[in-house]
Amino acid sequence: MEPIPEIKIKKKKKRRARPKQGSTPKSIVSAPVAAFLSAIIPGLGQVLATQFSRGLLLMAAFFSSSGLLAWRVYLLAHREPTAMAMFSKALGRRPFFVGLVMGSIFLIWLWNIRDAARQTRPERRGGVGIFVLVVFVFFSLGWQISEINPYKAITDLPQALPPLSRVLWPWKAAFTYRTETVKAHANILIGCEDPLPQQPERGPGEPYLKSDPTCGELSRFDENNNVIKGTVLTIEGGNFEPNSEAQIWWVDSLGNEFRPRQEGQYVSVTTDSEGSFKLELVMPYRLTPPSARGRQIHKVEARQVERVGGPIPAEPLRLTISRMIETIFMGMMATIFGIVLAIPISFLAARNLMSGSFITMGIYYITRTILNIVRSIEPLIWALVAVVWVGLGPFAGIIALTIHSVAALGKLYSEAIENIDRGPIEAIQATGANRIQTIMFAVVPQMISPFVSFSIYRWDINVRMSTVIGLVGGGGIGFILVQYIRLLDYRAAGIAVWFIALTVAILDYVSSEIRSRFV
Amino acid sequence: MLEVKNLTKIYEDGTVALRDVSFQVEDGEFLVIIGLSGSGKSTLLRCINRLVEPTEGEILWDGEDITSADPAQLRKIRRQIGMIFQHFNLVKRLSVTSNVLSGRLGYVNPWSSIIHRFPQRDRETAGKALEKVGIADQAHKRADELSGGQQQRVGIARALMQEPRMILADEPVASLDPVLAHTILGYIERMNQESKIMVLCSLHYLDLVQRYATRVIGLREGRIVYRGTREEIRKMTDEEFKEIYGEEAERISAGRREE
Repeated sequence: MEPIPEIKIKKKKKRRARPKQGSTPKSIVSAPVAAFLSAIIPGLGQVLATQFSRGLLLMAAFFSSSGLLAWRVYLLAHREPTAMAMFSKALGRRPFFVGLVMGSIFLIWLWNIRDAARQTRPERRGGVGIFVLVVFVFFSLGWQISEINPYKAITDLPQALPPLSRVLWPWKAAFTYRTETVKAHANILIGCEDPLPQQPERGPGEPYLKSDPTCGELSRFDENNNVIKGTVLTIEGGNFEPNSEAQIWWVDSLGNEFRPRQEGQYVSVTTDSEGSFKLELVMPYRLTPPSARGRQIHKVEARQVERVGGPIPAEPLRLTISRMIETIFMGMMATIFGIVLAIPISFLAARNLMSGSFITMGIYYITRTILNIVRSIEPLIWALVAVVWVGLGPFAGIIALTIHSVAALGKLYSEAIENIDRGPIEAIQATGANRIQTIMFAVVPQMISPFVSFSIYRWDINVRMSTVIGLVGGGGIGFILVQYIRLLDYRAAGIAVWFIALTVAILDYVSSEIRSRFV
Repeated sequence: MLEVKNLTKIYEDGTVALRDVSFQVEDGEFLVIIGLSGSGKSTLLRCINRLVEPTEGEILWDGEDITSADPAQLRKIRRQIGMIFQHFNLVKRLSVTSNVLSGRLGYVNPWSSIIHRFPQRDRETAGKALEKVGIADQAHKRADELSGGQQQRVGIARALMQEPRMILADEPVASLDPVLAHTILGYIERMNQESKIMVLCSLHYLDLVQRYATRVIGLREGRIVYRGTREEIRKMTDEEFKEIYGEEAERISAGRREE
C-alpha cells in the first residue's frame, strides 16, 4: 500500500514543475470522475480537482438555493400531503417564479457537471458564467422572499397620490383665517297647530330669515323605508354679505343642529348683490325622541362664515416651528454635553498620553473598548433606554444623543490628540515657557482645528438624529411627525417633513462652511 | 563656559543613548557634533537644556549645574539658550510673528502671554529679527504657508528673540538643500561671531563641518570617538571619518564637489 502515495507525490511534483504559470496544484481525479462526483454532490468534483473555494462555493450555492426554493414551495402549498403534490400546486400558483428558479437550479446542476470536468484540466480553469447563473437564482429568490411587487407599486400609485401630494405640498394646512359667523333664523312649528310660533325680532339692517309657511311636517319614512317628503318651506333671507355663500342649518327642538341635505348635497345658497336670497327647502328627516312631547319648535338657520383679517399660522405650522426649534436645541445641548464630557475622556483614550505605565495602558484599553461599544449602539436604541429612564420628551432625546456623542467625539478627539506634533511642544519648552504657556502656544493651536471641526460635524449629525429620535418618544419634531402620520394628517406631516429637510440642508451648508473656514 | 561631565542617558526602554560623555565649550566657540543618526547627537543637545532628563552626570554652565536646577531656575536657564530644530518645529497654525514672539515666553508675564499679548517693545524686536533673517514681508502669513528655508529662518528669529547666550542647533540644515544650508548656517555663524554666542550644532555633511566648525566632537553609539580642532577637521582622513560613521559608511560629500 505504501508505494502508491509516493508515486502520487512524485507525479504531482513533476507536473507542478512543468507549467510554470499555473500556481494551483494538479487535479487529484480525472475529468469523468469529477463530473460524476459533481453530478451526485455539486461542487465535489471541483473540490477534488483542487479548486477548493470554487467547489465549496458551488456546493453552498446549490444546496442553499435548493433549500430556499423548497421553503418557498412549502409556504405556497403546505396543505398538500406529498412533496410532488406540493410542488405541482406551487407551480400552479406561481408558475413563473417556481419554474424559473427550478429550471435555473437544474441548469446550474448541469453546468456544474461540465464545469467539474473542465476544472481537472489546468489550462481550462476558471470561468465565471456559472456564478452569473447562481447570482441570477439568488436574485429571483430574493425577489420572491422580499415580496417585491412593482406591478402593485404602479397600480396602487393613484391611491397613494392624494396623501403623497399633500406631503409634498402641504401649505394649505399651514395657514388659517380668523372667521366670523353671520346668522339669522326662523322658527318652524312641527304639526300646524295654533298658535304659530313667534319669529325672532330683528333691528333694521340686521340679517333676517323668513319662512313660508312657518309650520309643517318633517320628512318621514314609511314602513317600507320609502321617504315621505315633508313640507316644502320657501325661505327668504336678506341683509347678508352680498355675493357669498350661505349655509342652511337645521336646529331641532332639543338644540341639535345639522346641515340638511337635498339630493345628497348640503343645502347652501349664494346671496345676490344685495345680500338677499330665496330658496325652497323640504323639511328634513329628524327623529325626535318620544319623550319630547308638546309643541316642538325647530329652527331653520342661514349662516355665513367670513374670513376676518389676513392669514394666520395654523396649528400644525405653529407646532412644527416650535418643535423644530426644540429639535435644533436638543441637538445643540447634546453636542455641548457631548463635547464637555468627551474632552476628559478623550485624554484617557489617547495612546500617546496613556503609554506611561501598565495601569494607564489598562485605562486606555478599557476606555477605548467602552467607547467602541457605546458608539456601535445606535442613538435610537439609547433613546428607547432613556425614555424608560426619564420619560417621554426632549430630555430623553438629549440623553440618548449625548451618550452617542460622547463616544463618537471621544474617539475623534483622542485621535486628534494622538496625531499631535511633539516638535512645537519641544520648541516652546526650549524657550523657557512654563506649562500653561506651552499648552496655550504649542498644544491648543494644534488641537483647535480638529476639535472645532469634529464638534460642528457632530452638531450637524445630532440635529439630523434628533428628528429620528422623536419617533421613539425622544421629543422634538420626530415626535409630532409620527403622530401626524398615524392620524393620517398628511398635510401636517408634510409641513414637518419640509421643515426637517430645510433645517438639515441649512445646517449642512453652515457646518461645512464653518469647517472649511477652520481647517 | 559650558562643561559637560560624565553625562549618561539611558532611556526607559533600556536604550543607552549617551555613555560617559565629557567635553568643554568655551564662550564664542562653534562646536559641531558629528555622528550617524542614532549616535546620540540629538539626545546630547536636548540634555543640555533638559528637554531630555540626563540619567547621570553634570552639566555646568558658568559654574551653575543645569542638571540640578529646579523648574523655575531651569526656565531662566532655558530662556538664555536658543534652540533650532531639523524640522523647524514651528507652531504651524500660528502666524510667523506669533512664532517669533514665542521666543519671548520665558521673559514676559505668563498670564498676558497666554492670550498672545506681548509688550510693544517685543513686537518691535520681532519685526527686526524677521528683517535680520530677510523675511519681514512674510510676518503675517501662517507659518505653514512658508517654504522650508523660510520656516527655518523663522526658527532662527525665534531663537534670536531669546537674546541667547548659547544656541543649540539640532541638524538645522538636514532637511534643506545645500544652497539654503549655507544661508542658514551663515546666520548662525554671524550670531556666533558678532554676539559671541556659543553654538553647539550637529551636522551631517563633512564639507559644512569643515567650513563652519571651530571645534568638532564625533559621537558613535553614545561615546565620544573623535575630538578635533578646526585645523584637524580640515585634514580629516577617511579612516577617521569611518571611525565615526562606521565601517560601511562612505565619505559623505554631497556639497563638496561645488567647492
